[in-house]
Amino acid sequence: MERADIAIIGTGPAGVSAAITAKVRNKKTILFGSNNLSEKVSKAQEILNYPGLPSLSGTDFSMKLKGHMDDMGISAIEKKVSAVYPMGDYFGIQASDEMYEAKSVIIATGVIHGKPFSGEKEFLGKGVSYCATCDAALYKGKITAVIGYNEEAQQEAKFLTEFAKKVYYFPIGNKKLELDENIELITEFPKAISGNDKVECLITDKNKYEIDGVFILRDAVAPDQLVSGLDIADNHVEVNLMMETNIRGLFACGDIAGKPYQYVKAAGQGNVAALSAVSYLNEIK
Amino acid sequence: MSVIQLTKDNFKEKVLDNSNVSLVDFYADWCGPCKMMAPVVAEIAEENPQFTVCKINTDEQSALAEEYSIFSIPTLMIFKDGVVVDKHVGACSKADLLSKLNNA
Repeated sequence: MERADIAIIGTGPAGVSAAITAKVRNKKTILFGSNNLSEKVSKAQEILNYPGLPSLSGTDFSMKLKGHMDDMGISAIEKKVSAVYPMGDYFGIQASDEMYEAKSVIIATGVIHGKPFSGEKEFLGKGVSYCATCDAALYKGKITAVIGYNEEAQQEAKFLTEFAKKVYYFPIGNKKLELDENIELITEFPKAISGNDKVECLITDKNKYEIDGVFILRDAVAPDQLVSGLDIADNHVEVNLMMETNIRGLFACGDIAGKPYQYVKAAGQGNVAALSAVSYLNEIK
Repeated sequence: MSVIQLTKDNFKEKVLDNSNVSLVDFYADWCGPCKMMAPVVAEIAEENPQFTVCKINTDEQSALAEEYSIFSIPTLMIFKDGVVVDKHVGACSKADLLSKLNNA
């Protein structure tokens, strides 16, 4: 696959705005997210302070963003990004089971509500994983758990059954559940992950399950887990006014870059991030 | 030097009993970031004869993968005097990996 100039992760107002500016600047761009855009936007009740679009509902705003993307021929790759690897002069991007390459990356994945489970960060890479498609083969004959936040997680759990001896599935706020028959559904709330030098147990509000590994499959991966070595402060990616992070060639914008959580601010920052990426591309030429 | 393919039979000789600092790349053929890492590891082997650079296919050498608790690949492990002195999970730049090797 050809290396892109700019990879943008996230299809809220920040990511879409960055994609529009990148397109205007004629950069080879890949956008990861949903072609139905961020659900958070369409759920917004009413937006009162977006210049030029007075008294706008979330659904209308979402449709306007989508229309703008369509007009410019921008579409999203509907895959979840589980890791971004800074390789020096380029970035490797793991999206489901595929790898993409880009010279620069803009993170616009929004703010992730909710704390990590107790033990989650401690055991990352020691039995905690954010990508079943990537790591399933290392759990041959093992007992595993999936904490699934969406329908895609059910697909990943199914894939896991091809390798693991046992797959428990703990749904979080799922509406529709269609699980493979080899998967054991457990409707208890996971509380903590424990073990010594690797994962040994998943503790719920009611029970304790002996496991070798747990796959935590949220809608988006937290930014410090997404990019190793990325500076985070207060649950946000640290950026300067150019939307530059501490990693050269990597930018962040929108809610993930800090408060206030406002659409107009997100769109503005998306624009700045794309322009900064363009300057960066000119520098490294 | 080229990258040495390790098995459970030559692991002790090439890594544990080796007086050089060694880099071991745990990988599999189906793994995207491992493929991205392979040329970096090969370049390090070519340009730095003072290090012993090896790779282990986790599908074929599951006992070694189990012994070193490999849960995600690529895992890059640095050995010195028979023990693991540093480890990186996931792909990384050549500069980062070299600095880990030089600090070992």
